[in-house]
Amino acid sequence: MEPLEITFYLSTPVALGFPWIYFDSLIAHIRLKEELGERYYSLPTKIPVDSVPAIPIKHWKDVPIASVSIFEPQAGLHTFSYFKRGDFPFPKGKISRASGFFKDFYLKTVYVPAVKVKFYATGELREVERLVRLVPALGKERNIGFGFIRRVEVREVDQEWGLVKDGMAMRPIPVKYLEAYEDATYMAYKPPYWSKHSVDLCAVPFTRVELR
Amino acid sequence: MNIDWGWVRRWREYFLAWYDEGRVSEKAAEAADFIERYVGEGVLSVSGGKDSMAMLHIAATQLGDAGLDIFHWDHGPALMPRDVETGILESIRSVAPRAKLVVKQYSLGESNRARTDWRPWYREFFSTLRSLGYKYHILGIRRDESSRRAARGRVVERRHWVEIHPIYNFTWRDVWAYIFKHAVPIPRAYLAYAKLLGWERVRLVTFFDRELERYGSPQVDSVLAWRYRNTCCRH
Repeated sequence: MEPLEITFYLSTPVALGFPWIYFDSLIAHIRLKEELGERYYSLPTKIPVDSVPAIPIKHWKDVPIASVSIFEPQAGLHTFSYFKRGDFPFPKGKISRASGFFKDFYLKTVYVPAVKVKFYATGELREVERLVRLVPALGKERNIGFGFIRRVEVREVDQEWGLVKDGMAMRPIPVKYLEAYEDATYMAYKPPYWSKHSVDLCAVPFTRVELR
Repeated sequence: MNIDWGWVRRWREYFLAWYDEGRVSEKAAEAADFIERYVGEGVLSVSGGKDSMAMLHIAATQLGDAGLDIFHWDHGPALMPRDVETGILESIRSVAPRAKLVVKQYSLGESNRARTDWRPWYREFFSTLRSLGYKYHILGIRRDESSRRAARGRVVERRHWVEIHPIYNFTWRDVWAYIFKHAVPIPRAYLAYAKLLGWERVRLVTFFDRELERYGSPQVDSVLAWRYRNTCCRH
């Protein structure tokens, strides 16, 4: 496994559902789609999957060596408001559009007007390269045009920066694995990131840490 | 939450100018007179948001805080992170230290269910208000917050009490001008959210609350208030 730098060049801004995108989560998502095929779109909602598919990324203890997203340029956060109205064959008679099946939404999404998104990871170059080429868009609200990728580059780098770079955490790292840390909070640190079993007290990305 | 203090300082200058331009002190004096009529048999309901804190400050400074009754509803850790809640209680006590403060906590507020099922909240909240036994509930509701609120009026007869809205005619500029002029303590979340949403739209609402999903609030919370996302997931 080699230390890698993965750069996504974007054609549209990235909408976020969390301040960062996890690279290992992105790879796990693509692998899962590959494994399940069409079944991916009809998974149960409560516990969608029992186990996470194997990903071509090196682990340190149980933490994947893959950074969170680094947006360039750092242009700050913006919001985009839009309506999500039901596009249904509406039945005759009175229906409620305030609640229930036909409910309308006036939504806000937070986006970053970034030009490129960079990740660092340690993994199998060929396999990572193959998987990232299957990613059409990054972030949330991809169905309305956010996060479209123009091209992606994967290259080897000299050092392993997926966990720590210049003394800064590049991803959430549980404090139990750290000698010292600047800031910590409860975060998910391994896939699946939606599961409460992945949550632990972690050092916050881009704060100073010292590995044990 | 990251706050751009340079940006806040620039806006502060604008609001201080508006305080004179918009004759906010006259509006505050009128609101205080209005509160005085009802405060003997009433309670000031203070959420800790900017409107209710401005209203509390007007009442406490112009009428004196010793005779005030204040009610505060604590939504619980799932909906209101503890450091935000602690800050709110400290702010209320700093503005009206001698007032009688009643705090009630939502019984399901420590459960993740509070984020997804809001029906028990309404039942408990309104039964709590009724059990307080006050004739007048004095609220920081404003006309320009929504068309629904604009249709309510300044005094609203409810089944078990009467709602009084002293700062009903304040605009968002008036409220922010009052807050900056008198250094009224407000939760820091306002300053982080205001930069993204705008001063006229920023409001203190429960965090990660599915009830507010249709306005996009949980989406914004996930990015700005990400620290509180797993408040109820610790195991």
